[in-house]
Amino acid sequence: MKPRMMAGSSGDTKNPKIKPRPIVRIGIFLISHSIVVSLLCFAAGIVALILLPLFAKNTYISENALMPGSANSMLSSQDVKEANKLVKDIIGLKLSSEEARIEIPRLIAQHMADAGSEVYYHKFHPQMSQFYPLHFFSGSPNSGNIKENHSCVSHAINTVGIIRAPRGDGKEAIVLVTPYNSEKVELGEALSLALAYSIFSLLTRVTWLAKDVIWLAADARYGEYASVTAWLRDYHIPQFSALEKLDADICFESGYPHEQNENQIRTDVISRAGTMAAGLVFKVVDKHKETDKDTLSIYAEASNGQMPNLDLINIVNYLAVHRQGLRVKVEKLYFLLDSVFLKIVGDVLETIGKVARSLNARWEFGIPVADYIDGAATLASSMYHQALGVPTGSHGAFRDYQVDAITLEISPKVSLNNEVRILEFLLRGGRLIEGTIRSVNNLLEKFHQSFFLYFLTSPSKFVSVGVYMIAFGLLVVPLPIIAASLYCDANVLDSHCIKEQQKSGPASTNEAGIAFQSWRWLHAAKVVLVIHLWGAIVSLLPYLMYQFPEMTPTTSMLSWGLLSIASLLFLHQILGSPYSCVTVNQSPNREWAVLKSMMIAAAGIGLGLMSIINFATAQIGALLIVPMCLMVHPLKHVYRAGRLRTLAVTACNISLGFIGFPPAAFLFLKAYSEGLGSVSAGDFWNWVESLWAWNSATYLYLGLIHLPCWLLFMYVLLHPC
Amino acid sequence: MEKTRWFWVWVITSLFFRLVLIYFPENLNLGFRPEVATPLTSLRRLAEGYWLKQSSMSPYAGSMYHGSPMLLSILGPLTVKRIEGQPSHLMCSLLFVVADLVTAMLIRATGQTLQLAYSQSLRSLNLVSLLESSETLSAGDIAALVYLWNPLTIITCVGSSTSPIENLLIVLSLYGACLRIAPLAAFGWVLAMHLSLYPVILIIPVILLLGYGPDAPPRKLFLQKNSSENGNSPSCHGNYPCNEVTSQEKLPLHPFLWRPVMHFMLWASFWLFYVFVLCSISLKQHGGLLEMLKRTHGFILTMEDLSPNIGVLWYFFAEVFDFFRDFFLIVFHINILFMILPLAIRLKHRPCFLAFVYIAISSMLKSYPSVGDSALYLGILGLFINELAEMKFSFFLFCGYIGVSLLSPVMHNLWIWRGTGNANFYFATAIAYACLQLFSPDMDKWHGPALVCFCPPESVFQLLQGWSMGLNRRGNLL
Repeated sequence: MKPRMMAGSSGDTKNPKIKPRPIVRIGIFLISHSIVVSLLCFAAGIVALILLPLFAKNTYISENALMPGSANSMLSSQDVKEANKLVKDIIGLKLSSEEARIEIPRLIAQHMADAGSEVYYHKFHPQMSQFYPLHFFSGSPNSGNIKENHSCVSHAINTVGIIRAPRGDGKEAIVLVTPYNSEKVELGEALSLALAYSIFSLLTRVTWLAKDVIWLAADARYGEYASVTAWLRDYHIPQFSALEKLDADICFESGYPHEQNENQIRTDVISRAGTMAAGLVFKVVDKHKETDKDTLSIYAEASNGQMPNLDLINIVNYLAVHRQGLRVKVEKLYFLLDSVFLKIVGDVLETIGKVARSLNARWEFGIPVADYIDGAATLASSMYHQALGVPTGSHGAFRDYQVDAITLEISPKVSLNNEVRILEFLLRGGRLIEGTIRSVNNLLEKFHQSFFLYFLTSPSKFVSVGVYMIAFGLLVVPLPIIAASLYCDANVLDSHCIKEQQKSGPASTNEAGIAFQSWRWLHAAKVVLVIHLWGAIVSLLPYLMYQFPEMTPTTSMLSWGLLSIASLLFLHQILGSPYSCVTVNQSPNREWAVLKSMMIAAAGIGLGLMSIINFATAQIGALLIVPMCLMVHPLKHVYRAGRLRTLAVTACNISLGFIGFPPAAFLFLKAYSEGLGSVSAGDFWNWVESLWAWNSATYLYLGLIHLPCWLLFMYVLLHPC
Repeated sequence: MEKTRWFWVWVITSLFFRLVLIYFPENLNLGFRPEVATPLTSLRRLAEGYWLKQSSMSPYAGSMYHGSPMLLSILGPLTVKRIEGQPSHLMCSLLFVVADLVTAMLIRATGQTLQLAYSQSLRSLNLVSLLESSETLSAGDIAALVYLWNPLTIITCVGSSTSPIENLLIVLSLYGACLRIAPLAAFGWVLAMHLSLYPVILIIPVILLLGYGPDAPPRKLFLQKNSSENGNSPSCHGNYPCNEVTSQEKLPLHPFLWRPVMHFMLWASFWLFYVFVLCSISLKQHGGLLEMLKRTHGFILTMEDLSPNIGVLWYFFAEVFDFFRDFFLIVFHINILFMILPLAIRLKHRPCFLAFVYIAISSMLKSYPSVGDSALYLGILGLFINELAEMKFSFFLFCGYIGVSLLSPVMHNLWIWRGTGNANFYFATAIAYACLQLFSPDMDKWHGPALVCFCPPESVFQLLQGWSMGLNRRGNLL
């Protein structure tokens, strides 16, 4: 895209008699028809986005070594009966929450040890949410150096069991995670523990195991993500501080379950078992919702739009559908299912598909309406969760260590109240997980064969990066073209102006003007730089405000806004106002054009960067920013045009200026989805706070790219030309 | 006065800004970035070498350190000196800040010399009207400010790499040559060559500077001017021998002065000898000079460390078969040498600009480039602000530099930390960076063609080809 800009600007100065090279001519053509081209590209981008569900491909297992379902399941009803005893034990404990906190880990550890595995307790404190703006970037997860004063009661205890593989060298491991709330165990959580136990006890006996298996019974008292992430941190980053030891010693008596045979279960050491090949988090949810089949929901989104390797999802999906007969679901935005727009589009596509097939039987690109709507709703959800940058479950913690992990949420078709149902359910779920482990066990390398960058449109369909990049590319292509054309126009007009001035007046004054003509964008660049600096300051302001924790969301929001405005005024005070014009001979009605082209260039670079960090954010951001960049026109300038056009352009600009402002857009969406009554200014603060807490890059995008772009939009709109 | 005051305000602010950044090195972690610290310039490696030396081992043991032993003696003690509660490499960083300041001042002084010579030659060509266009700050001031405020310079300075010192020596040699101080020029050149080998090609511009003096319009212009004046002047009709008289008066053509050049040569051999003696004393027990040359200059030439950097060679040599390795090593190094002579002929009347072009080319094709190199040539670029005024692609280049410098860390992150990308991602930014560097010397409409005619495009094409081969071999790009 950039060579075009360059080619265009060189094309203007070339001698017209010499026929320029084809690439230059293409550049000139694009720039001279920039409005048409950009409109076409933008429309094509939107259409491509809408058509994405149509281009979804069926998933396939890419890594041959996986061989899912090729071996018979070994999980027997005897194992399941054993597991059912554990369920009864846990449910039957009937303890106060204080006792349960210690008693349940003891029970689980007892079972693990009886099955013949290594066991240890992992104790951790909940971590305060902190602001690491570049956390996603530094790669190594923060080791949490801040020591806080915790009472011994606030510990949570993970119980970890490790099976050493008889055929392995102990360099690789598979992790099973079952989160449960130690203060109040529900039937579902007890069932998931039992499920893990049944598989775990089976795996201690099998001969084919080549990777160690770790079972982490995660104490989800402070949230399941916190417990998993604490364990992973201690697993990967050893702590050698003396303070930690001391702390452990003091709390030893009260914090840990007492054992009869204490030398068997270790509390002070974290045993390890090689690098992790995959992580499986599973939960049983007792929804009491009648369906015809047991249902398996897959959650895959980790922080900042990272996804596990598609092969992991493929195995689970394959085994669940073809071996265990489960219904597999991925998340979708349910309100989109009733959308009239999607229905119309689906109808049109189906009709086109039918017509095409009647013309030539081999043209098969239409899909049924229901499929389209379903795919679109799933795709939207996939995109939304990736864009938010917040993981959808505790599997997200694994991705920070480059481990592929997913959450499997199994819910039974009817309520589990009789034992036969429970046994059948456990057997089915257990066989699914056993099959998955067996597949992963076959892996020779890390997952690498299949896709990392994709959107799901159903459990067995995906849109790969090669396809969805097209939609984004088409949306973004107008930016460099418009920037180049504005810049060239401004330059050409300017040189005309200067020539006329020279004709009329003596030539002495304008030498410098001519000489530095090609550097005239420096002033606009300065404005853009100052605004982006302001964006950085605004995104750091909440850090300052966190020093006063007793503020309510609304006051925080208000003070944030006020501080932002103050810092903007301050910056303008010391670094100059955006409208001041340095060079005298610059034709004033072109200053805004240079500013606009600079703004577009900055937005283009920002979107390009964001598309690499988190594609979904860039895609959604482009839908907002690109029209803003293309449409913006100084209001004063517009009034000179015809009446209808004035009205249209003004209305477009003002509505874009409203929608483009992040808080306004957020509150507008919230009011739209939940009604006007529930909206308050503090909501935006809460939302931003959640982005922070998860170290989402989306927050940085909003602060460093979107907000400055919006402000520049307003500057150009109100330009006194 | 007003302008000078502003200049100093900006200089002091830039220094203050550096000091603020130095105070938070752990947060920035720049010393670990491949863009900032190469195997040659990394201060961490230097500290390691110093530690080895203190424990009476060869500093080159274990292939960690590849710099000069003299740098080890100067910077080494500073790396271990800790002040309680302060960041670890504080002393070194302070030294680098000083080096940056001195470099900027030298660039400024060079710029003033150039400006003076420029106005003299214009005056002798009767083009005084052109002189009045120099407004606001002078070229030297602008170049110094560009150097000090260039984000790349700041990153290099803060990111604990020894590039500021190398840059200082290169600029020192140019400054000495501009003022015709042969010992200084020789000192800068010898040390710069000793530290990073590539400045060895700067001997040509330095000799031209010493011989002809600073940049001037082409000789042709003077000759034309003289002949036309002689032709038109009414006093020169008939058989008067006024031709010679006027040319004696008018021709400010400087003949090539051999004297300073010979001085330079003598001083250079003296300094070289001196440096070698010092090095051999310091490495007496550890293999002496030969070992040093093998581990420093040999390391540069044989491209042993293939860890990724912003250059283009690491990728190529990671891909190439072992039995072609020597051949391609020669090809790539000759690539630089090929361009020396044609450019020298073309630009012999403008030695400073020639030096800039050489620095730009070597920073593109050197084996371990870092952003410190581009910081240097972008700073020197500021000296030619009058020519730059007509630069066509300034806007495009500006956007390109910003885009690439932001993209490169992101791609690196994607490849190394997140594991969703691969080497091709990072190398793509390296190629984009190399292409940008191709354009920046191309700014001058007279000298652009001279450059483009020679190797860079074709070598970049070679690399592109290599890249696409790599893409094919690696199969799954995504």
